[in-house]
Amino acid sequence: MTLEEVRDRMKAARVEIAENRLEVVRRLLTDALRPIHAMDSRAHRTLEPAVTFETVRARGDHGQ
Amino acid sequence: MASEELFYATIRDIGARFRRRALSPIELTRAHLERIEKLDPTLHAFVTVTADRALADAKAAETALGRGDISSPLLGIPIGYKDIYATRGILTTGGSALLKDWIPDEESTCGVRLQRAGTVMLGKLITHEFAFGIQFPGHRFPAAKNPWDLERMPGGSSSGSGAALAAGMVFGALGSDTGGSIRGPASLCGIAGLKPTYGRCSRAGVLTLSWTLDHTGPMARTVEDCAYLLQALAGYDAADPASSREPVPDYVAPLGRGVRGLRVGVPREYFFEGVDAEVEKGFEQALATLRQLGATVEDVQIPNIQSAGAFMAIMLSEAFAYHERDLREHPELFGELLRDRLLAGALITGSEYVQAQRIRALLQADMNAALRRVDVLATPTSPKPAATFAQVYDPDYGFPRGNTGPFNMTGLPSLAVPCGFTGAGLPVSLQITGRPFDETTVLRVGHTYEQATDWHKRHPTL
Repeated sequence: MTLEEVRDRMKAARVEIAENRLEVVRRLLTDALRPIHAMDSRAHRTLEPAVTFETVRARGDHGQ
Repeated sequence: MASEELFYATIRDIGARFRRRALSPIELTRAHLERIEKLDPTLHAFVTVTADRALADAKAAETALGRGDISSPLLGIPIGYKDIYATRGILTTGGSALLKDWIPDEESTCGVRLQRAGTVMLGKLITHEFAFGIQFPGHRFPAAKNPWDLERMPGGSSSGSGAALAAGMVFGALGSDTGGSIRGPASLCGIAGLKPTYGRCSRAGVLTLSWTLDHTGPMARTVEDCAYLLQALAGYDAADPASSREPVPDYVAPLGRGVRGLRVGVPREYFFEGVDAEVEKGFEQALATLRQLGATVEDVQIPNIQSAGAFMAIMLSEAFAYHERDLREHPELFGELLRDRLLAGALITGSEYVQAQRIRALLQADMNAALRRVDVLATPTSPKPAATFAQVYDPDYGFPRGNTGPFNMTGLPSLAVPCGFTGAGLPVSLQITGRPFDETTVLRVGHTYEQATDWHKRHPTL
């Protein structure tokens, strides 16, 4: 993500960030969005964003 | 002044002293208040010391003991709350100038449960600003210092909780963990900290950072002490929409069953990138100890682990959603670093947030698959030992990459337990993660390892 993209997003979101802080924000966003932009959404058509928590334990002896 | 040994005793040991009348809750509470008065002007772990309340709690505990009521192992035990837990009639700041005068008229569910268990509340412990920012010099509330090295951070955001425990000022503390805020300070302060399964402990009455990532949980100096605290905290709460009705098992009794036959999985990808050599050495020695104790150790794969950084997109988006109105109306009341981090959340699109949640589902499926093959996962907790204040105050420091966030994404129970020290005397830590609602196994592995080592018996010189 470039600083220009950060400025474009700020404009769209109607927020202001000091010019001398933009690089910090750019790095934070770049790291956060890298895996998202790397993901091919079409490869996981049935994947939904909802989160569930499985409470049924896998079969196994679980040790002693 | 009481001896150092008293301040670093275990909850079990203190309970035994109470029962044989070798110590009284009031005596213990007074000793702790004196210790706080002596040490906290340097450590800054407390925002508010509630001496009157503590002595009233101690008196109630003493009365209960006098009538033979020993049903709660936490009776008369002095503890502290991270200052994002609402306390009725007591200042609750969130470490923020925005809430510098906020006195809630409600109590968090966790606070209520600890009071029912007979604990003694010594006070409120400093948190990073709204559990996400760092208090720079000049902030309304000074940052806590790491008792192992006063030039270093104790980690965060449960910074006061970690520092107070390492300094022997409390026996237990409430922490909260959105991306590692229980386990990080536990790791950097040489104590134990448990992030339970999402939904296991109530978040009602606790300031929000990120709804789908926030967890509450216990911090203490030993795994057994964490188990005692979890026993009091765990269970359904209608006031928390994410609260689970999963039955609460006995967390303490199974601790002594050992690890023979248990399978420990080590995800070698992602969790070792950029790890300090001394942290890695401590971790590998911990694995060797677990093998000696009868566990089997094998590498496991988490295929989508490199996507775990999407965690930050979820946290930033949800944190901005929570704070947006205050940010727009009172930006000057937020620290500069926190304000930048929160505003970054405004720059993430709806589509990116949804994709981050889909990545989360992939990661969850991967971890569930790995945990069908092994009983727990083991990784270093923090990739590096505690950073200096000079390092984190550097504008280029950024947000440190951690090993804890993936388990907030997946909601799995995850424990930090000390596993050594660096050559400079800084604690390093082992992270043990288990299946949903299987805190019992996680605690059992941590306790067995801890009892085979003496890391938890070392304390800073203050």
